[in-house]
Amino acid sequence: MIHKKTCAWTGLGLATALALSGCSAASDAADGTVNLQMVESLTNPARTDVLKGLISDFEAKNPGITVELISPPTEQADQKIQQMLQSGTGVDVLEVRDITVGPFSTNGWLYDMSDELAGWDGWDDLTVNAAKYATNADGKSYYIPYGFYGASLFYRTDLIKEAGFSAPPTSWDELLTQATALQDESKSQFGYAFRGGKNGNTNVVLAIEAYVADQIDQDNAFKLTDGSTIFAAPEAADALETYFALFENASPPSSVAWGYPEMVEGFANGSTGFLLQDPEVIATLEQAQSISVDQWTTAPMPTGPTGKAIQPMATAGWGTAESSEHKAESAKLISFLSEGDASTTFTQKNSLVSILKDAADSDFYKTGAWASYVTMNENPDTYITAVQPRDSSWWTDWIQKSDSELQQVLIGQMTQKELLASWDAYWVEKWKNA
Amino acid sequence: MTSPRTETLERAATSPSAPRRPDPGTRRSQRRTFTVRKSLTILAFLSPALIFVIIFVYYPMIAGSQMAFRNWNLSNLTDTSWVGFKNFAAILTDPVFYTVLRNTAVWVVASLVPQFVIGFALALWLRRKFAFRGLYQALIFFPWAISGFLIGILFRWMFNSEFGVINDLLSKVGLTDQAIPWLADPTTAMVAIIIANVWYGVTFFTIMILAALQSVPEELFEAAALDGAGKTRTLFRITIPYIRTTLALTVLLRVIWIFNFPDIIFGMTGGGPANQTHIITTWMIATTQRGDYGQASALGLIVVGILLIFSIFYLLAIREKKAVTT
Repeated sequence: MIHKKTCAWTGLGLATALALSGCSAASDAADGTVNLQMVESLTNPARTDVLKGLISDFEAKNPGITVELISPPTEQADQKIQQMLQSGTGVDVLEVRDITVGPFSTNGWLYDMSDELAGWDGWDDLTVNAAKYATNADGKSYYIPYGFYGASLFYRTDLIKEAGFSAPPTSWDELLTQATALQDESKSQFGYAFRGGKNGNTNVVLAIEAYVADQIDQDNAFKLTDGSTIFAAPEAADALETYFALFENASPPSSVAWGYPEMVEGFANGSTGFLLQDPEVIATLEQAQSISVDQWTTAPMPTGPTGKAIQPMATAGWGTAESSEHKAESAKLISFLSEGDASTTFTQKNSLVSILKDAADSDFYKTGAWASYVTMNENPDTYITAVQPRDSSWWTDWIQKSDSELQQVLIGQMTQKELLASWDAYWVEKWKNA
Repeated sequence: MTSPRTETLERAATSPSAPRRPDPGTRRSQRRTFTVRKSLTILAFLSPALIFVIIFVYYPMIAGSQMAFRNWNLSNLTDTSWVGFKNFAAILTDPVFYTVLRNTAVWVVASLVPQFVIGFALALWLRRKFAFRGLYQALIFFPWAISGFLIGILFRWMFNSEFGVINDLLSKVGLTDQAIPWLADPTTAMVAIIIANVWYGVTFFTIMILAALQSVPEELFEAAALDGAGKTRTLFRITIPYIRTTLALTVLLRVIWIFNFPDIIFGMTGGGPANQTHIITTWMIATTQRGDYGQASALGLIVVGILLIFSIFYLLAIREKKAVTT
């Protein structure tokens, strides 16, 4: 009987211990080695490999520090990170995005790295844009960007030549003309890979910004210098007219529902002649079966009637959790990733615009499809850099609202005028309450 | 007209004999031996499972429910004050909510009926013995093993107007001369997601109904055949009455699952175009994505409420029917 009882209690104890052991966090080794937990957000297998390579370089140079990389699937990553930060354990270094820095810092989850990075040599090597994001308006350094996602116009060199154009379009109006000329629905040939689905708001906003580029507030690309929203400007209505004409005359009808995968596929399989996208598409298109590398290249973003365009700057970078017990070591890892070869490797392998000043001189960025980015960066008066308010805490709400209303216009449930009025009212209201 | 013999068979089929009750005297003596010590031992053995369920199911459920009455937005967790029914009011005053409710009803009914009919037909077919039956069964059960989100993405490409296989097939057989922009139009998008869901859900009914069919004693069919009952009559007089409880419960389960199944819609349309294919649960995900856990939690409670009311009425209706027929 005693034997049975002992067995029962031992079993119970074991079960409880097993259940609880899953909850404990990894601790540092007894020999003083610091183990950093690092978590990424925009995960993909190729990128994770690059990152792991850089981490082992870092570990080789810093024998007392080991880094454990956690790579949740992209679509759940930010929520996972949020949970980790909320629980206050298990994360030292994390990928902070321009759209998550607002809520994360408001909730007190991010550490201001200014002190740790005060003597960092890398500051001088950063481009103006990178430095702008590395230190926010209040002088706090919540993250150091690792690169930028900027748009350019991918176009089919052979198709525009056949249609009788000698050069790619430079403005939205020219884009409309050329894309319309390429469109031939009977042959399933379309002019423009229109974005009507997820994140469809991004491109329509780019068009509006190009039309009001002269009056834009560079610190807030949704605002004009007179304090009103860009959506209230009369030029915004002209921008929409051209933009929706692109949909009507030069895009596949089903592009109401097109998101990133359909747009890229449409261009890669040769169905569409123009595509406004991030540089990461370059690597995808180089692998495309239906079109060869000499059939396409990129041009700078289309400009408005002002002859100017706004470069949207989407970014992400590395930051430290407030709850981390190894803030100095975390800063060491972040500065390692943000300078020299490590940074160059990361940006080139992931098709990102570099954060380093001297990148423009490298052959990698001067040739082929990358050249348009250099052109844009060398002409900051034409391709103005302005910061979209992506760090607003209501940014994801805005994305959902604007995506949905854009589709309402496309399927005829809303007019262009109503769309602008709604977007104007939304931002006026938000800024009033902020 | 039913022959007296078939009638007896039916009764035998619809009212399986109840297990015999134990003798009251035996029960009392059992209870006496059931001491405090014994029950404590049982409790001790159960406790790991109980603690686990309490910590990982009930606690999060209750903790989650209270968010519905608080200002719980991930963009700013410094103020999570109690706001009463504000989150519910915000949902009920949003016109999208009523579109979403209507869509949910359409989604459930239009997915369930074909799933049930096709699933039943397949189960009847698979019940017969024929060569490679095992292989056919495996092939039919296959969709059940795929993640709903993946199915959504696969169908998103199949229904793609320009590069999708569905438009291609339709034009090749001459049914359409113009590409149908499936996912770009609210009505066709709804049809497309329902087709995908039917493809996925047929399997469930096939599995469950086939299992139930295999429990129908062969003698009943033999007796019915001897009595001269045709195929249709055997189906409606023997098969369906015998497996009625399973059918009723699978339908109930499936209604709840389809109601709570956002995966396919999320993968295919994301609720678009312009919110026209959102059901309550996809809308709830969209709400959590913009960080508003308060409203999402309120929506969750609304879902629980609707399903609870539905289940109660459904079960009552079934009981009523059973009482009438027996």
